[in-house]
Amino acid sequence: MTDGAAQSSSCTMPPRRSLFCKYFATLFVAAVVPLILGAAIEASFGYRDQRRQISAVLQADARAASDRIEAFTDGIRDQLGWMVQLPWSAGDDAQHKIDALRLLQQVPAIVSVSLLDETGTERVFVSRLLLNRTGRGIDMSTDPAVLGARGNKVWYGPVQYQRDSEPYMRVAVAGSLPAAGVAIAEVNLKLIWDVIAAIRIGETGYAIVVDDSGHLIAHPDISRVLRGRASSSSFGRIKHLVSAASGAAVITGERGSPVVALSVQAADLGWTVIAMQPTSEAFASIRAALWRSSILIGLGVLIALSLAYWRAHRMSGPIKQLEEGVERIRAGQFEHRIKIFSGDEFQQLALRFNEMASELAISQQKSARIERLKQFLPSQVAELVEHSHELLEARRREVAVIFGDLRGFTAFSTRNEPHVIMAVMREYYAAVGAVTTRHEATLIGFDGDGVMLLVNAPIACEQPATQAVRLAIDLQMTVQSLAGRWCDAGHAIGFGVGVAMGPATVGTVGYNGRLDYTAMGAVVNLASRLCNLAKDAQILADPTIAGKVRDSVPLASLGQRNIRGYDQALEVFAVAPADLSLKPPGSAQRGREKEPQDH
Amino acid sequence: MERREFILLIGGGLVWPAIARAQGGAKLHRIFWVSTQAEPDPFLDGFREGMRALGYVEGRTVTFETHYAPENPQALRKIVSELPRGDVDLVVSSGPATRVMTAITDVPVLFALSGDPVALGVVKSLAHPGTNFTGSTFLSLELAGKRVELLKDLYPKLRKLAVLSNTDHPGEPLEWRATLESCRNLGIDAAYVPFCGAREIENALMAAAKVDADALLVFPDAVTLVHRARIAELAIAHRLPSMFGWSEYCDAGGLLSYGANQRTTYFRLATYADRILRGENPSDLPVMRPEKFELAVNLKTARLLGIDLDVSSILFRASKVIS
Repeated sequence: MTDGAAQSSSCTMPPRRSLFCKYFATLFVAAVVPLILGAAIEASFGYRDQRRQISAVLQADARAASDRIEAFTDGIRDQLGWMVQLPWSAGDDAQHKIDALRLLQQVPAIVSVSLLDETGTERVFVSRLLLNRTGRGIDMSTDPAVLGARGNKVWYGPVQYQRDSEPYMRVAVAGSLPAAGVAIAEVNLKLIWDVIAAIRIGETGYAIVVDDSGHLIAHPDISRVLRGRASSSSFGRIKHLVSAASGAAVITGERGSPVVALSVQAADLGWTVIAMQPTSEAFASIRAALWRSSILIGLGVLIALSLAYWRAHRMSGPIKQLEEGVERIRAGQFEHRIKIFSGDEFQQLALRFNEMASELAISQQKSARIERLKQFLPSQVAELVEHSHELLEARRREVAVIFGDLRGFTAFSTRNEPHVIMAVMREYYAAVGAVTTRHEATLIGFDGDGVMLLVNAPIACEQPATQAVRLAIDLQMTVQSLAGRWCDAGHAIGFGVGVAMGPATVGTVGYNGRLDYTAMGAVVNLASRLCNLAKDAQILADPTIAGKVRDSVPLASLGQRNIRGYDQALEVFAVAPADLSLKPPGSAQRGREKEPQDH
Repeated sequence: MERREFILLIGGGLVWPAIARAQGGAKLHRIFWVSTQAEPDPFLDGFREGMRALGYVEGRTVTFETHYAPENPQALRKIVSELPRGDVDLVVSSGPATRVMTAITDVPVLFALSGDPVALGVVKSLAHPGTNFTGSTFLSLELAGKRVELLKDLYPKLRKLAVLSNTDHPGEPLEWRATLESCRNLGIDAAYVPFCGAREIENALMAAAKVDADALLVFPDAVTLVHRARIAELAIAHRLPSMFGWSEYCDAGGLLSYGANQRTTYFRLATYADRILRGENPSDLPVMRPEKFELAVNLKTARLLGIDLDVSSILFRASKVIS
């Protein structure tokens, strides 16, 4: 049972799988490829748009940060400007000190302020941490801050890290009058943190500020700034990469993950504001679209798979049925019918198959019948039966009848053992059968040592008389050659033939399936009588035959003879062909031996 | 270039959410609070407030285990040696306790110091502590001289200043030296009134009252902070203009204070605690320094003192005025 199932599956599965593969490939190409293409195109356009949009957002945020930082430094510059409006005069120090203290109160980022007179000498110094000083102090005329402010009105110093941690910067402003001196403020840049920390780009995006050499000035995570110059290499790299790109660039961020970044230069200070957003957030919408597409593609694959399976199954079912049908037909089950109602070509094919099966059945029945007939009918008759039933129907027609009979057979059979008799008989029957077949005559039957043949029935022939005579000659010669051998073996057996032609009733006679084709009429009796009259090696023919074959076969008239059952004497002819005249020496004796037996 | 970025981004983007989800997760963090003071502890309250603001829930995501050894560093050493290693996520210390904490090397330690942590030897540099220590400093030392100056601005007649100082406080000698130098610059005599721990505070107050000073300077410190009302009361009783380190002293009746905002400092300390609990290495977290200093004036006290004060020289600079 399992073996059978395994076998059946092993021989049906491979084609089904290949069908499945074909369907899957087709459906995949039809459904999934457009999806993938669509998704890829959408994603690439989406990416471009998103990138443009992110660039705009980053630009706006970086610009805003840069503006606020400029506002921060501009505020300091303007406030310092107030300090240097009036020229120094004696006894002004106290008032200047109050102004400076007010400045500290106004601007929290300023840690200390130095006010210098026109000579560059410090007159007032106020600080949040150190002790205030008033009066003439140190000479700062060569300080770069003083020189820078005098040359340029405003001077922004480089970023310095106090104790290598906190970023500081000095800002110096010179008054419009040289006599007003210079104000120098020390600014704690940690205070820019407020500006930078307030910037949020999306959920996780932020902005940082670095100076020209990549030193970090402001970062939402203040501790990064407090690490001083140590972190500047990493931020220097970011600044370099971002400044090199036009618009937004995708770079590896400070934490090692990719970010989209864009930089804006703060004009006065030479600082760079870099706005960045992790790509994971910046391109979240594209990623979502890609996820959606992936799900769709997955769905497409599933649908393609199930459709392919379904289609392949629908295909392989009928194919399996057809295959099984062929197998059954091969095994001879012609009554097997295939039932497919798919309404398509398969149903058509099944219909044709069923038609074929029924035709095969009919053909099989026919050949079976013929086989059966062949067992008891001469093969010509049997073949004829196959083609036309009407041939076998009883009718009256002109036939030639040939009778043959062994001479001296009775004596032979009484003198010899059965197996010798049967051997002689087998040889005799075989020879007669061969001659009959050769001349396409109909073997009506054997009757002991006698045989009856029919020409022109049931199959018609052109010259029945001539054919009958030729057959008779052939028969005689064949049996004579056998008789020669028998004679050598010590059996005196001869053979006589009678041929007659005339109208006879032909047809099948029989009962219970036993059917015989036979001829009835005077001509049959005549032929039989002629056979009896014939001596060994003699062929006797009636006048009808003689009349028809006179031109082609030499005949010798034996004169009028009285024949049993006929009122008048009939002229009897002996067929005397050249080869038959050369008779073996013992033939006359064998003929003589027969005569007393028959008469 | 763009295409490569695009592919990199898609690849990275698809992986990213899984990584993001893998992080986080609520855990109960154990924080050791080690102090040489006794309760009530204003520093712990400030720190707790900061942790609450960062979303920590006491008992659920964080527990504080307090260890106090008032005026007894030896007892603290014992606590430290018995610290259950591997089980404590963070140690927070303030003031003198920090000195003892140097014995700890495998648990992150957060500190809040008035003085210089580099000088104390707990960190290698402000930018890169390089040890298991980090935290914030109040810059008290830097401000020591400034306090004298402000007191002198307000009370120009100041000639003799009583300096109340807890010698148990780390960096106290440096603070006293800075104060002394400032006094010398401003032509003021400084009368040093040292005491050691809360037990001696009463005696120290008595002593301060007896030095016949024009004003009183109190170093900011947990002991004086706890006893601020008592100190302020004594200063008013003896008609002494007083100067403190944090505005809390002024709220309690002190005349003047100048220093970093204590709450802000502890709040920042809490953010560092948060970052360390999230896995950051304290050696990479720079020591924080305040950048804003509050000048507080209590005008009510000024009136109560009934002496001639140059309030106008201070008022415009004050960030906090109590009236």
